[in-house]
Amino acid sequence: MLIKRTQRRNSLSGALVEQSGGFDRRAFLRKSGLTAGGLAAIGALPFGSVRKADAATAGPLASGATVRKSICTHCAVGCTVTAEVLNGVWIGQEPSWDSPINRGSHCAKGAAVRELVHSDRRLRYPMKLVNGQWTQVSWDTAVNEIGDKLLSIREKSGSDSVYWLGSAKMTNEGSYLFRKLGAFWGTNNTDHQARICHSTTVTGVANTWGYGAMTNSINDMRNAKTMVFIGSNAAEAHPVGMQHMLESKEINKANFVVIDPRMTRTAAHATEYVRMRPGTDIPVLYGMMWHILKNGWEDKEFIKQRVYGFDDLRKEVEKWNPEEVERVTGVPGAQLERVAKMFATEKPATLIWCMGQTQHTVGTANVRASCISLLMTGNIGKSGTGANILRGHDNVQGATDVGLDIVTLPFYYGLAEGAWKHWSRVWEVDYDYLVSRFDEKKMMETPGIPLTRWFDAATMPKADVAQKDNVKAVFVQGHASNSITRIPESMNGLKALELLVIADPHPTTWASLAVQAGRKDGVYILPVATQFECKGSRVASNRSMQWGEQIVKPIFESKDDLEILYLIAKKLGFADRMFKNIKVENNLPEAEDVLREINRGSWSTGYCGQSPERIKAHMKNQDKFDLVTMRASKDLPEIGGDYYGLPWPCWGKPEVRHPGTPLLYNTNLGVMDGGGTFRPRFGIEREEKLADGTTRKVSLLADGSFSKDSDIKDGYPEFTLAVLKKLGWDTDLTEAEMAVINKVNPTTPDSVSWSLDLSGGIQRVALKHGCVPYGNGKARMNAFGLPDPIPVHREPIYTPRVDLVSKYPTLPDAKQFRLPNIGFSIQKAAVEKGIAKQFPLILSSGRLVEYEGGGEETRTNPWLAELQQDMFIEISPADASARGIKDGGWVWVTGAENGSKAKMKAMVTERVGKGVAWMPFHFGGWFQGVDMRSNYPKGTDPIVLGESANTITSYGYDPATGMQEPKVTLCQIAAA
Amino acid sequence: MAALSRHIRFIAGALALAIMIAIAIPAVAQQPSSVNPTADSVKEQQLLQQLKTIQGRGSIPDVKSYVIEQPAGRDWREFHGVTLRWIGGISILGTLAILVIFYLWRGMVKLQSGRSGRTIVRFNAFERFVHWMTATCFIILALSGLNISFGRPLLLPLIGLEAFAAWSEAAKFAHSYLSFPFTIGVVLIFLIWISGNIPNKVDVAWLKEGGGIVGDKHPPAYRFNAGQKLIYWIVVLGGGAVAISGYVLMFPFYGTNVSMMQNAEMVHAVVAMLFIAAMLGHIYIGTIGMEGAFEAMGEGTVDVNWAKEHHSLWLKDESARAAAGAPPRQSAATPAE
Amino acid sequence: MARMKFLCDADRCIECNACVTACKNEHEVPWGINRRRVVTINDGKPGERSVSMACMHCTDAPCASVCPVNCFYTTADAVVLHSKDLCIGCGYCFYACPFGAPQYPKVGNFGSRGKMDKCTFCAGGPEADGSKEEYAKYGANRLAEGKLPLCAEMCSTKSLLAGDGEVIAQIYKERVTRRGYGSGAWGWQTAYRETIAS
Repeated sequence: MLIKRTQRRNSLSGALVEQSGGFDRRAFLRKSGLTAGGLAAIGALPFGSVRKADAATAGPLASGATVRKSICTHCAVGCTVTAEVLNGVWIGQEPSWDSPINRGSHCAKGAAVRELVHSDRRLRYPMKLVNGQWTQVSWDTAVNEIGDKLLSIREKSGSDSVYWLGSAKMTNEGSYLFRKLGAFWGTNNTDHQARICHSTTVTGVANTWGYGAMTNSINDMRNAKTMVFIGSNAAEAHPVGMQHMLESKEINKANFVVIDPRMTRTAAHATEYVRMRPGTDIPVLYGMMWHILKNGWEDKEFIKQRVYGFDDLRKEVEKWNPEEVERVTGVPGAQLERVAKMFATEKPATLIWCMGQTQHTVGTANVRASCISLLMTGNIGKSGTGANILRGHDNVQGATDVGLDIVTLPFYYGLAEGAWKHWSRVWEVDYDYLVSRFDEKKMMETPGIPLTRWFDAATMPKADVAQKDNVKAVFVQGHASNSITRIPESMNGLKALELLVIADPHPTTWASLAVQAGRKDGVYILPVATQFECKGSRVASNRSMQWGEQIVKPIFESKDDLEILYLIAKKLGFADRMFKNIKVENNLPEAEDVLREINRGSWSTGYCGQSPERIKAHMKNQDKFDLVTMRASKDLPEIGGDYYGLPWPCWGKPEVRHPGTPLLYNTNLGVMDGGGTFRPRFGIEREEKLADGTTRKVSLLADGSFSKDSDIKDGYPEFTLAVLKKLGWDTDLTEAEMAVINKVNPTTPDSVSWSLDLSGGIQRVALKHGCVPYGNGKARMNAFGLPDPIPVHREPIYTPRVDLVSKYPTLPDAKQFRLPNIGFSIQKAAVEKGIAKQFPLILSSGRLVEYEGGGEETRTNPWLAELQQDMFIEISPADASARGIKDGGWVWVTGAENGSKAKMKAMVTERVGKGVAWMPFHFGGWFQGVDMRSNYPKGTDPIVLGESANTITSYGYDPATGMQEPKVTLCQIAAA
Repeated sequence: MAALSRHIRFIAGALALAIMIAIAIPAVAQQPSSVNPTADSVKEQQLLQQLKTIQGRGSIPDVKSYVIEQPAGRDWREFHGVTLRWIGGISILGTLAILVIFYLWRGMVKLQSGRSGRTIVRFNAFERFVHWMTATCFIILALSGLNISFGRPLLLPLIGLEAFAAWSEAAKFAHSYLSFPFTIGVVLIFLIWISGNIPNKVDVAWLKEGGGIVGDKHPPAYRFNAGQKLIYWIVVLGGGAVAISGYVLMFPFYGTNVSMMQNAEMVHAVVAMLFIAAMLGHIYIGTIGMEGAFEAMGEGTVDVNWAKEHHSLWLKDESARAAAGAPPRQSAATPAE
Repeated sequence: MARMKFLCDADRCIECNACVTACKNEHEVPWGINRRRVVTINDGKPGERSVSMACMHCTDAPCASVCPVNCFYTTADAVVLHSKDLCIGCGYCFYACPFGAPQYPKVGNFGSRGKMDKCTFCAGGPEADGSKEEYAKYGANRLAEGKLPLCAEMCSTKSLLAGDGEVIAQIYKERVTRRGYGSGAWGWQTAYRETIAS
């Protein structure tokens, strides 16, 4: 037997013995296992101290390396990535023990991010399609040619004919500048991934209680007694989040209920699994509520004080008796009663959802129904409760907040004149100049085209597109094309464009599909650095902002997002105005300065207190935040009393030192401790029509409920100078603050509100009196103003249950977001043509843990690609044997529209029930059986290619947001 | 009769119940209404007891990785470390011991009638080439194979880890590459000598007399006596078995799984050990065991007296054929007496 | 003396494959070699469990016992390592291994195996700790730096435990007692001839 260097070994094991037997082992055990503090896993080594002690003995490979921290880019959990860098090379990844979010952990993607920077398949230099060949060009040439073409399109077709598609992968600074670029260019056609993941959440949730975001945090789920997952597969989509959820399940013996059409990896850990038919979330939720109301399990006090529209809701819920629910959803009444009882009585209970709920034509209504169930049971605004909406990209919450969106300017100010004027004050640019950038003032105030329909906007008759001209150019920076439904039709769009610019670390399917569509020119690819090569802030799902350092410099010729935006703005002629208050060095705007500008304008959403200095201090002191409350002890310097990442709203100026709001709408805490109320965002009273034809006015302000230590012990409207005066609190404003308020609105300073006051004075004074700047209102069960104010079940456009369509039809055709939405006609035609007979299987789609989004980046990573080498479709054993399909065999999947077809492998599994098939949506690079590997610029093709799920998906758009419908369509499968 | 009707009633009742259940479950219901995946979870010990191996589904293409536990590896290890060594040791050392004892007791079987000086062709050049090719390969394969089984306890302590690893690796390559000529040799041996190796009545008599090994009698035999036929079939069947099992090991997981490979290794090793033991006997008889025998494969010819004593019937056939004017069985290259 | 072991708490494992890619990342393991893998039993059925498996660093390791060239050795921490300089790629350790741990790069001719590669418990090989040679052949030597295997350190749900056997057994036991269920310490009976009473 070989024994190597006995001496050396003994010294190590000696250390181990000492540590495992002595203090460290005790410390470890105390913290591990199931105790609430739990570093619940690892072995005997006390990592921090040993690492330092052994730095000298570490091998030559690691010695001298510096450690840099950034944030994983693959989902919104917000895991810290700890990188070891030596001589500018990222040589290793270490667990990030200090982060209260991931505590050292990663999923497959997070543990493999180093390869993204390493990859020799990354784009190296700008490229241009010339006569069907990818040709290298210089950055100067690329930017000049792109700019000239954009300007000529603008000249001919107007500013709205350029579609600016940004990314949730950009930092706050990147996505903010992208939106700002859209504003200075003169269009609201600026969108990003939130459109296709949680736009319905943002709209549905904001319309219920004020803000479009996860209300609590994943860490807070450690307080839950009941967790109901409906449309979330956290095990694959948010694996590190599962750590907190599973520990909650174990520590609290919490109920872990998974309601899903698939028996997912999350469901495997459930204490109750409910299989439902895809697209019936509302009946399932109403089915639960039916039992809650029947048994009187609702939280009557909560509803009385904090909820509007309960009676209207009750009428709808009463329609959903157990028989009807089972007929529509397939879920037995007894099971739903059990789940409803847990949810309403074993509190605190939380609802977790993701794209299973949001990606539907009824997405907004689904989300609303979920919110309503929380309101009904009082499971909101307390720890362990809440709408725990898990988001998909590292900065999708942030990118949404900073307004990379078609319906609003940054921070949900909307598009009305007042909003533009607010931002023109923040940007210190003339309002009139901004107006002049648009085709007309009306377009400036009209929501843009959702990215789900860019190709419709490019190919439909000009008359059907409610702007000056069709979309002629798409500038896409960090967004996959195979994530968008109806790929066969998007091919026409790709062909129709005059210019396509793809700015990304990888060519993406935009490039391969554009070539496949027959394009020979007019396509540029710009190499962009990954987020690990850029610095800046990201907002995780729980609204915590984290600062990512630059780990290594951009590789090859790739550039930082911010630099690219600056170069384009410069070429387009408005860089001086756009970057007026932002330091720019060597064409690179300074991220910190951008964040400071964000701070100065984001009063409405409370990004105003999150200065770069505070955020960086949090990253430096990650280990000081509590695992469950996420709060740092009050006596610490720099971060004392703060919640980790200053989860927004973080009110007032940074000097106010608001600690952030870990749980939204939590009345149990004072506002300066992170407490809050529901936001009265839809007026302070509403005129209701009564049955006898008369009307009555109903208050929308809270009734006897207020946040702890509030000076106003009841509901109150948002704060304006007028309100302060009425309360006699205006005297608390300083002179300087008054001066700013007077400058904001010299004619009627009284109307200046907490969200427009650039001095932050109104917020400061409200906080001083324990009040929330936005007011104290009721959450809305009846969200008047939405297409379905009370959620209504509507069958998917393509449903196998044609018998239900007449009772539960989709909404009538209408014009939305500058385009017609003809879902109703399509549903009607599908029923009449008997599509459900031809295509009898429901097709749904979702995530794999190894890949993210369109997947080009992750499929290029060999460590991940090796784990999922083939596109597949899950099919139940019954459906497979009826079709002679074998596990692992090739099949053709055909779709209900455009004669679409796709070739992939079959996975015969009981994960899906009979009549349901499921595909992962990350694959691309094949189209209808054709391998498009040769369409990629040489050497940049991802390792794994495959058919895109969206080749088969079909029509269907949420009327409130333009969300697509990738979760329910119909298909047929045949052995190939 | 009563029992029968009761039985029928029971079946009818069961059917009715089944139909009722079928009706009661709505078409859309996909599952029983109580599913608790946590409480139903599989248990390791239970699976091991029931299935011996634990296997599941993975996503990488390496299907053998889907087996996560196969305690059978321990049985194989027992075989490899203990059983096989006993089998090999006993068969090989035993054979050697018997041969030594036999030699000491019997000595070389002499040509009783002495050499006639006349020779007859026994194996032509092609036959001898096939034999020696196969034999050479066999010896190297045997030594390199024995090295795998016995080298670690016997040779390694003598030459040290590095030298032993270097030698073993070379031996492994030799073992792999020489398997091909060896296999070809076995196939050719099978083809060229099959006609003389079908067992017949003469063999029975020959065997009854113990092949004349003991005493001075020489039971008659055709071209191959029963002993040689035995060797032939050992070579053909044993060679076939080691070749097939060897290729299973050489091409891992080409349509096989780990337990098939474990079995293949066991077959390979046991057959090889017995094969080696048998070949020791063959070598003994072909060299120091019998006067005049080596020439048959060495030069291709044997003394007529040798043929007379050991293969009388063959000699008769050959003589008759020569007398009939047929060309001699062998080519003209045969040296004339 | 610490006795290093792995333990996969299948009631925590969600088949996220972080252990697999962490291993690839730490040791730059090439395509086709899977020192660690995750397998799901009863896929899609209630009761489904996933288990992360690699070399368990067995007590009285079968691989070491059957190796014809004696290339295995056990460190003072009871980690089973091997020398690639000595390995002849015969494949015997794979037949003997109850866990399918040994991996062979496909090199050269007809499916013949290259030098065996397997999980090192992040403890490198016979070369000098932390040396370039060690890294090239076996990957990083975290143990020498006072760190534990990265697969376990990065496990998304703290399902995979690595460290002193007594400590991780204790953690597992506590978990099972607390939550009231446990599908077993997968592989412990086979690898260490012991189970964790729960």
